[in-house]
Amino acid sequence: MRFSYRWLADYVDLPDPSAEDDGAHVLATQLTDAGLAIEGFEDVPADGDAPADAVLDLEITTNRPDAMNHLGLAREIAVLRDTPLRPPPVGEPSAADDDTTEGQTAAGAAKLVVEDLARCPRYVALVIRGVTVGPSPDGLRRRLETIGVRSINNVVDVTNYVLWETGQPLHAFDLKRLEGAQVRVRPAAEGETLTTLDGVERTLDPSMLVIADAAQPIALAGIMGGADSEVTEATVDVLLESAHFDPATVRRGAKTLGMHTDASHRFERGTDPEACLWAARRAAAMLVDVAGGTLLTGTLEARVSLDPPPPIEIDLDALAAFAGIAIDTEEAVRILTGLGFAVERDAAAADGRRYRVTPPSWRQPDFVDPYPADVYEEVLRIIGLDAIPSTLPAIGDVDAPVAPRIALRRRIQDHLAACGLAEAINFAFLDRARDAAFPSPLGAQQPIALRNPLSERYAVLRRGLLANLVESAHYNLRRGADAVRLFEIGHAFGDDRDAPVPDALRESDLDGVAELETVALVLGGRAGTPWEGGRTFDVFDLKGIVESLAARCGVALVARPADADAVVAGYGTHGLRAGAAATLHRANRANDAPAVGVIGLLADAGAGARSQTGLDLAVAELRVAALLPETDARLGVTVPPRQPGITVDTTLNHPRDVAWTTIAAAIDDARVDDLRTARLKDRYTGKGVTAGTVNTTISFHFQSDARSLTQDEVNDRHQALARALTERFGA
Amino acid sequence: ASASNAGADDDRLAVDRARFLAEADAVTDRAGLDALRVSWLGRKKGRIKDLMGQMKSVPADARRAYGQAVNALKQTVDARLAELTEAFESRASAARAAEARIDLTLPGRPPALGGLHPVTRVTRTIESIFASLGYSVAEGPEVEDDVRNFEKLNIPADHPARDDQDTFFLDGDYGARGLLLRTHTSPVQVRTMLARNGGQLPIRVICPGRVYRNDNDLRHSPMFHQVECLAIAEGLTVGDLKGTLEAFLQALFTPDTQIRLRPSFFPFTEPSAEVDITCPFCGGSGTVTAADGSEMPCPVCSGTGWIEILGCGMVDPRVLDACGIDPAVYSGFAFGLGLDRVAMIRYDIPNIRMLFDNDERLLRQVQD
Repeated sequence: MRFSYRWLADYVDLPDPSAEDDGAHVLATQLTDAGLAIEGFEDVPADGDAPADAVLDLEITTNRPDAMNHLGLAREIAVLRDTPLRPPPVGEPSAADDDTTEGQTAAGAAKLVVEDLARCPRYVALVIRGVTVGPSPDGLRRRLETIGVRSINNVVDVTNYVLWETGQPLHAFDLKRLEGAQVRVRPAAEGETLTTLDGVERTLDPSMLVIADAAQPIALAGIMGGADSEVTEATVDVLLESAHFDPATVRRGAKTLGMHTDASHRFERGTDPEACLWAARRAAAMLVDVAGGTLLTGTLEARVSLDPPPPIEIDLDALAAFAGIAIDTEEAVRILTGLGFAVERDAAAADGRRYRVTPPSWRQPDFVDPYPADVYEEVLRIIGLDAIPSTLPAIGDVDAPVAPRIALRRRIQDHLAACGLAEAINFAFLDRARDAAFPSPLGAQQPIALRNPLSERYAVLRRGLLANLVESAHYNLRRGADAVRLFEIGHAFGDDRDAPVPDALRESDLDGVAELETVALVLGGRAGTPWEGGRTFDVFDLKGIVESLAARCGVALVARPADADAVVAGYGTHGLRAGAAATLHRANRANDAPAVGVIGLLADAGAGARSQTGLDLAVAELRVAALLPETDARLGVTVPPRQPGITVDTTLNHPRDVAWTTIAAAIDDARVDDLRTARLKDRYTGKGVTAGTVNTTISFHFQSDARSLTQDEVNDRHQALARALTERFGA
Repeated sequence: ASASNAGADDDRLAVDRARFLAEADAVTDRAGLDALRVSWLGRKKGRIKDLMGQMKSVPADARRAYGQAVNALKQTVDARLAELTEAFESRASAARAAEARIDLTLPGRPPALGGLHPVTRVTRTIESIFASLGYSVAEGPEVEDDVRNFEKLNIPADHPARDDQDTFFLDGDYGARGLLLRTHTSPVQVRTMLARNGGQLPIRVICPGRVYRNDNDLRHSPMFHQVECLAIAEGLTVGDLKGTLEAFLQALFTPDTQIRLRPSFFPFTEPSAEVDITCPFCGGSGTVTAADGSEMPCPVCSGTGWIEILGCGMVDPRVLDACGIDPAVYSGFAFGLGLDRVAMIRYDIPNIRMLFDNDERLLRQVQD
């Protein structure tokens, strides 16, 4: 918001703007330190007889509509620099407000009806007859142009000038163009239209307040005037409006219509209800001065009494304790008084540092149901926060240790980084088709859509992390990467109103919203550096990472082959290649326990398609909560045997559709003495192996805690086991 | 006669010696050496064996001398053959050594070096700084409701401060219930306060997390990250807020980092302030030395020597009241900063969008 230094100097003593030690730059710093932040600074050179000026571009925060004008800002400056404030002259109130003689008084010239005093608690109108509309005098025009307001004509310029001087928005109507010579403040009728000053026809509804004449709306209350009643060269009689509108009404109307004006900016933040009358008189006096004509006696006015802001009991000792700095009584009183607060010493209080403070009418919006801290803030921002010495709070006992979920997340991130994966972060939204094209933990739920997405590309919240993570993989491959190794941890979202997620799996307390944390991985391309040879990552590299992650977290996972595009309880497998998809489950749980994750190769067609990358991408995703270890997990180790062991291999020829986990389970169930491990050594199909079957070579390791085993006894057990496996699974 | 015979034998052996030495000199490889050994020392047809066999034809009185001469020749052969054997062996082992030489300047075969995201690293740094100050970490959902995201924070409906936080709302019935993507992590502060039921104070938490605003241009990402800090106890002061900020920012940036507070406005704190720090890039001087040695304005702080880093304030009593904490007894402070911006400063990342492109070439560089 732009302010003219010279203009400010009308109300408060200021040195020449270019003064080196105390000019406009020093003022800018003072204002910034008091919460009126300087955003830009501009020197304005002398122009003819107009002296050099400076423009201060300030960011006035939304709680300070009172400082969004020169007089309000000058009040702050007066307090900051401890110098008197000189308010502008205001025309004397005219007598005979009840004189209704036709043509001689405001009441005789026009009629005012406010139908909605709740939303328009103050409305003042003055009438000026016989004006000559024309260009503004140079001084007026220059002031407005300095702060970036375009000069229109002398009448409109006066209303703008007084807005920027006092903060009170004003509007001048051409009285002759008002049907029935009247203004009515009323809710808009449904579907009623008004062409505003910017030439746009607006369709209104009853949530909006309009100023109307006897026939139709002539202005959008607090936002913008109408084109049909605007002041033109032909205007002779002017009705000058100065009102106070309900902030929420103005804000909603402006937002609904997509409008934002100097007036609406102030009204929606709260104007000074007591400024309507004097600002109107100030403007009327200036108008007569620059445009001629006569101010009719009397004021058209409608008002309801507004509760004055209640006094606030403050205690300067409490303020000092709150701030952590000594507070001088006189200085605090000076600051508050200068800012317009009525300050009254609490005579009943023995210690004499208690005061009753009443905020000025222009600060009301900031002092609704006030607290003492509201007042302390005013004193502290003038004193300056930098003056307060730094201390460290003396709070005893340390708060809670790292929550298990946070520790788990760090462990996952660290482990995956140690496995060579880089951590990605993606947006949580994407387009519907892409969201539907990938596996997700919320595949059984509908996606949650945004009401106001950036675009259709970001229409819904992700139900899983893979869709966007695969896009990250493609991004890298398009830029020439020979491998992608990425992971991401984040939240997935789903609408669980129709398909509720079991309570045990819920991570959000908001009804109907399933929000849960998952970790997703994508792997593909060349494994290692070129001189390590030409091996490419396959899904077992990824599965190994997932398994090691589970082991690192103290849990065991099992994979169950799944149909592509199926929705297993807990997980959907959309977008994975048929025959190369599995759901992941916690080991040692019931068979119908929900899946905790998914793993597989991306399908050849579709959004993650191989054709887009030339690579097979292996992907996995699992719920972070599934990696939380059992609460009774033991920490102790098993002491390894000291006796030497013996390793024997067996090759089993079996149909391809016998899963490794089935064979492994059978080996476990056989409970062979001293069999420590049964590890996959080789899988072979091809020459010498019947079609539809596969040779699986398993390496058995036998070892006893008690003694050295002999080759003979190992051979006996091993052959018995091999026979049993062949009988059960052999092709 | 014996002398002359002996002399004739000597001559003959001298010829043999000369021939052997010539043949030995001509040997160039191990095979030649073996052949030489066989032709002179072979048990069946070796020349020494042959000469020994001629002993019978040597007169008895000359036999002794003859035997000595043959022995002398054999010693010469043995010595020379040993000499050659050793020479060849040392030559072979030198060749083997040359063969076994490896170039340890060749690159190793490293396990792939993964990496944590820059935002994760910054988050962890901040978490550990606050852990040392006694703060715990609190988290919450990213889909929130209007009550926790706005109302409890003294931002009622139709409050202009809502304009500062362009909000993504959920569609349909969700929107009607006020569900939205949280615009800051303050709802986690609200949850923390409400969970204490007016007691269980003091509170010291930080709330890191992902937040969303409907803003998408070169400088804004619709999703970004924040960490907020909340402390509530009896008698907390503005000075405590400043001291905590200083301790935190000096640990995060450099120990000589200076801060300044500019009063500002946030609905949930009063007094509120924007905090500037001395620019960590130019050290607060406002100028940096260009490649050509000339002084130029610092590109990070635009030559001002300061950068705006966070917003802070004393918790507004309306917020305490709304969250069940008596403002007449307790006071608190809060602040929040953008983690993405800290990551950009720390890792010289010029554009916030680069944080979410997930280019592995960038991500893998970030190791600290």
